[in-house]
Amino acid sequence: MVAARRQARKPSQATDERLLVEAARADLSKFEALYELHFARLYLFIVGRGHDRAAAEDLTSEVFHRALANLSTYEWRGTSFAAWLYRIASNAIADQYKRANRERSGNADTLGSPTRANISSNEMESVDREAFLFRLVEKLPEIQRRVVCERFLEERSIKEIAQRLSKTEGAVKQLQFRALQTLREKMEERHD
Amino acid sequence: MTKRPPAEQLDLAISTLLARPQQRPASRRNPNVAKLLTLVGPLRELPHPEFKVRLKTDLQRRIAMNQASSSARTAKPLKFRRENFPNIAPYFLVNNAPKFINFLVGAFSGAERVRVPRADGSIMHAEVAIGNSVIELGDANEQYPQRIMTTHLYVTDADATYATALAAGATPVYAPTDDHPSGDHWGEAKDPFGNTWYIATRRSRVAGPEGFLTVQPYLHLRDAHNMIPFIEAAFGAHTTGLHKSPDGKVLHATIEIAGATIEIDEARGEVQPTQSYLHIYVPDTDVVYAQAIASGAKGDKPPYTAPYGDRAATITDPCGNTWFLATYLGPEPNSPRSR
Repeated sequence: MVAARRQARKPSQATDERLLVEAARADLSKFEALYELHFARLYLFIVGRGHDRAAAEDLTSEVFHRALANLSTYEWRGTSFAAWLYRIASNAIADQYKRANRERSGNADTLGSPTRANISSNEMESVDREAFLFRLVEKLPEIQRRVVCERFLEERSIKEIAQRLSKTEGAVKQLQFRALQTLREKMEERHD
Repeated sequence: MTKRPPAEQLDLAISTLLARPQQRPASRRNPNVAKLLTLVGPLRELPHPEFKVRLKTDLQRRIAMNQASSSARTAKPLKFRRENFPNIAPYFLVNNAPKFINFLVGAFSGAERVRVPRADGSIMHAEVAIGNSVIELGDANEQYPQRIMTTHLYVTDADATYATALAAGATPVYAPTDDHPSGDHWGEAKDPFGNTWYIATRRSRVAGPEGFLTVQPYLHLRDAHNMIPFIEAAFGAHTTGLHKSPDGKVLHATIEIAGATIEIDEARGEVQPTQSYLHIYVPDTDVVYAQAIASGAKGDKPPYTAPYGDRAATITDPCGNTWFLATYLGPEPNSPRSR
């Protein structure tokens, strides 16, 4: 039900996004707002297609550069800016697949097939939910944010984190607990 | 037995999940802890905050450069490149330019449009139009010796062009094939001067309204990864396709510079590094020359106003390629193009 409810974007959301796009087309320095809004979504879309962190970073970078270069060609026509970015991403992934194939033509069979280009409403919901979570992480108090990044992104042990932050292991566990509790509460508020 | 505090319970479960992501959490757990554990999977996908900041900075830098060049164009309404000239043209300096012209005309239906002879009969400068692009050339000399270069040629019928190239004296490497992993119908031949020509018909991508350029320089480089930041910083270019090996070598990259495209890759195996000559039109030669030097290029000839009406300069990039920079300053009455 949640997926169905969120499948159609709220009109105000769509209008806001449209205004952001129009502003960026008129003045490229406003592109930053679109970047902030869509960075996590795009990254997750790419990660969701089986790319490791390094490849996902390369592709995310490529897609934003392509989007910036082609912003003037984007037409609203009921297609969200996110959907436009996903299409660019699908092309970039397909291009990368071809390049990889070209370089490793002897082992082409081992590379699998190009990624699917479409994004289902369920996947879009999942991407939106996780992108929201990532933005919440950015808003955590600095010390909690660091603990979350070190623990889940860097996969460090509590002992290592404690040493790096000059805190006791107990204190780091408490920070981790509070951070996740805050994130969970905010995620639940999103659905209320 | 003392019950563990929630923060301890949570960390124990997180440690287990991080070590064995596929393992389901134990069933007898504090419900609040169980809820928090659902965040672990998504949080492991967190992007590096440093990457997000770095990409944002890259984009801001590019936006600033676009705006600067846009202002420069506003201030200088004249076109910065000549009519019927692409932004980038390979510049061949060969031993026996007349023979090379004959080859281009016979092999690729080239149309000779400019020939400027020296007093000794050698060719100082010539231009041969191929499709919607131009190849420039001249006789090599002590200052600019012959170099072996690679060019990507996009044509409507790669089979026919490949055949005419062989008939004009090219040596076959392999005939155009649909099996090329690029997805294009692609073949390869070497001309009588040793230059490599990738002859292809596009299949993998659809052209925009501007179409594809027929001639695209292809640079095989040593430490190609060093070239990308240089071109981006020197020319305000951007990389539209980058494929790297796990050890960071560039397997293939496509770089757009003001509407033109070059391709680069890391030289390896039988493909040795090449050092090319490239002629590039830029909005402001003086500015680009300064940017190039600041980005690690060697200045061969500082900006000067050439007798044929271009603001020109020459640099050598960190990979050894020579770039002839030019800004068209506008038509000069009674001054036919000559170089």
